[in-house]
Amino acid sequence: MAITTADAEPLPDTNGNTTAPGLVPGEASMWFFILGDLLIFGVYFVCYMVYRGEHAGLFLQSQRHLDQGIGMSNTVVLLTSSLFVALGTEAARAGKAARATRLVGIAFACGAVFPILKLVEWLPKLGAGITPGENLFFMFYYLMTGLHLVHVLLGLVILGFVLRSLRSASTPNMKFIETGGIYWHMVDLLWLLLFALFYLIR
Amino acid sequence: MSESILAANPATREGRPWYRNRKLDQYICFWSVPFFYNLFGLVFVPLSWMMPPRSPTSDIADVIAFMQSPNLLIACTILTLAIGLSAVGNACYMVQMRRMSVSPVFLFAFMAGAIVGAVVGALFPMFCFGLGAFRSGYDPEILQMMYDFGYLSFIGSLGCFVLNWGMLGLAILLDKNNILPKWLGYYVIWQLMTEFFVATVWIAHDGPFAWDGLLAFWFNMVIYVPWQIIVYVCIFRAIRNQPENELRNARFKPGATYA
Amino acid sequence: MSTRGQLLLLWTTPVAGVLFLAAYLMFPGFSPPMSPTMTPEEVAAFLQANLTATRGVVIFVNLIGASLVPFFACIAVQMLRVGNSSPVFAYSYIICVGIGLTAFILADYCWGVAAYRPDRDPQLVSLLNDMAWFFFIAPAGLVVVQNLCLAGSIYLDARPKPVFPRWVAHFNVATAVLMIPGAFAILHKAGPLAWDGSLSFSLRLATFAVYVAVMFFVLLRVVQQPVESEGVLL
Repeated sequence: MAITTADAEPLPDTNGNTTAPGLVPGEASMWFFILGDLLIFGVYFVCYMVYRGEHAGLFLQSQRHLDQGIGMSNTVVLLTSSLFVALGTEAARAGKAARATRLVGIAFACGAVFPILKLVEWLPKLGAGITPGENLFFMFYYLMTGLHLVHVLLGLVILGFVLRSLRSASTPNMKFIETGGIYWHMVDLLWLLLFALFYLIR
Repeated sequence: MSESILAANPATREGRPWYRNRKLDQYICFWSVPFFYNLFGLVFVPLSWMMPPRSPTSDIADVIAFMQSPNLLIACTILTLAIGLSAVGNACYMVQMRRMSVSPVFLFAFMAGAIVGAVVGALFPMFCFGLGAFRSGYDPEILQMMYDFGYLSFIGSLGCFVLNWGMLGLAILLDKNNILPKWLGYYVIWQLMTEFFVATVWIAHDGPFAWDGLLAFWFNMVIYVPWQIIVYVCIFRAIRNQPENELRNARFKPGATYA
Repeated sequence: MSTRGQLLLLWTTPVAGVLFLAAYLMFPGFSPPMSPTMTPEEVAAFLQANLTATRGVVIFVNLIGASLVPFFACIAVQMLRVGNSSPVFAYSYIICVGIGLTAFILADYCWGVAAYRPDRDPQLVSLLNDMAWFFFIAPAGLVVVQNLCLAGSIYLDARPKPVFPRWVAHFNVATAVLMIPGAFAILHKAGPLAWDGSLSFSLRLATFAVYVAVMFFVLLRVVQQPVESEGVLL
């Protein structure tokens, strides 16, 4: 049975470069996502602060259950990872593919520690019966760190593709590498805000 | 606005009347979408007053009064007759996904999500409300259960929509034929994030994370409604911009012999 | 496109028809159809009295519930051949089949759960029975849209030699119209529009039976069109 799966010749690849090069790093439409994501998180941060003001006692008391040590390690891990991504992008731009691969590889390894630390942080809490249903603070906490974790996992997938692109292509796709790097920096930035709001402000 | 878009259509500019338009099948299906969404809005808002969502902590007397309002049955009937149009609306997405350079796996995964989504996200919740109204005299606990089941199923149906928007967004981003704009792909993925936020309605009874909450419902609506409109406008432009020679019926010339 | 596989699947339609007829005749809830005015206690007593037959039919329908899908799949594949600008009608059709089938099987499950513990609170038994009827009614609406999609696709067929004859489109519109009263069973508890009424029950099921039979013969001819060299665009 003959089944044709393509009904039209694919048009030539336009590489998706819709803006003049050099205007913004990475794919221009990616900024759409970054800004949108920051907007959503921003609204949640504002709401968090408002509800924190309303239920100051509850939030303060609940915050004591959070482990600042793990939060700090998470921050260090992500910041290091972000730094290596930036260095790796720089190296790739300079044409040093091998060096860039190594640097992004280190960034990936650091990033991969983050989900593990998250599990180390969450599982004992959940085991001790501190669930999202506990109170408003923990709902905020699990929801927002959870969504951030989804972002981290997605970022790791993207970094994986960046690594593949660096290793296989003779001339690395700079647009893609920059886009991945920007995304990773955004994940980092979001964590810094989360860390400050949930762990530090007391 | 619609007239101006139609007027700009190359086929109508050629002088062919709208009913001879080669893309008429796509336009019929496309225009069923605003019709369906209006009907959908009518069913869920002024007819049943199910939306905006009632509070999960409503007084049991209010729950009973709501669950027994006869309008729910009219809403159920209209929805039963119209739910098939949700399939037509989703098929409009699928046609554009089919034109993309990506593998049809995205398309078929989307299709599965569309089937499940119509049942768990519309038909089943509405029936939960209708069942209470159908027979007066159900115990309050039963009505309360159907109330919860209806709202949680309607607002909290996550997985199928995560699948659908994930497939659509990825397909747009990976597509090399530029069927839909790249920024729309990112926009779809971005909207997908709000599906995660809704997860809280399964836990919270009150506050911002309940099913009538500021964050879980209202903020999501503020993001969702413009998003849905923009996506369909982009779909419309994709239909309009599809070159005539790419149409599947372009090869049939009147009078030609073709089995 | 090879016709052998399609013919094979198409010939499962009469088999499915016989199976559905058997299920219909065996189901105590359908002969005569249960009245929507039965009280919860009456529903519970009815199930108690017809336990074996109900359970048997529920299991049987659970097995054969999807047996008409190959028939609909044949229609969908032929719709993909129709000379429209896009496969939009065919895709809509397939999704409708999926939704309708899910609703139908949920109806079966509701009756099954009701019959599993007929001695539970009559209110719950009655709720399950009502829910089963709602889900049994729902596929009517899907068939309406499904048939209109097929009709629209045929009306707009640009092929010089159309895939389906044009009267099939008229026939689909007519059957769609006759299915519409079925959905009003949600609104009425008595009269011809109630779920045991002449319009909602007898007319709807008779229309559907005639529809499947006629479309079977239509498809027998359509499937055998000599299009061996032609591919199908998904």
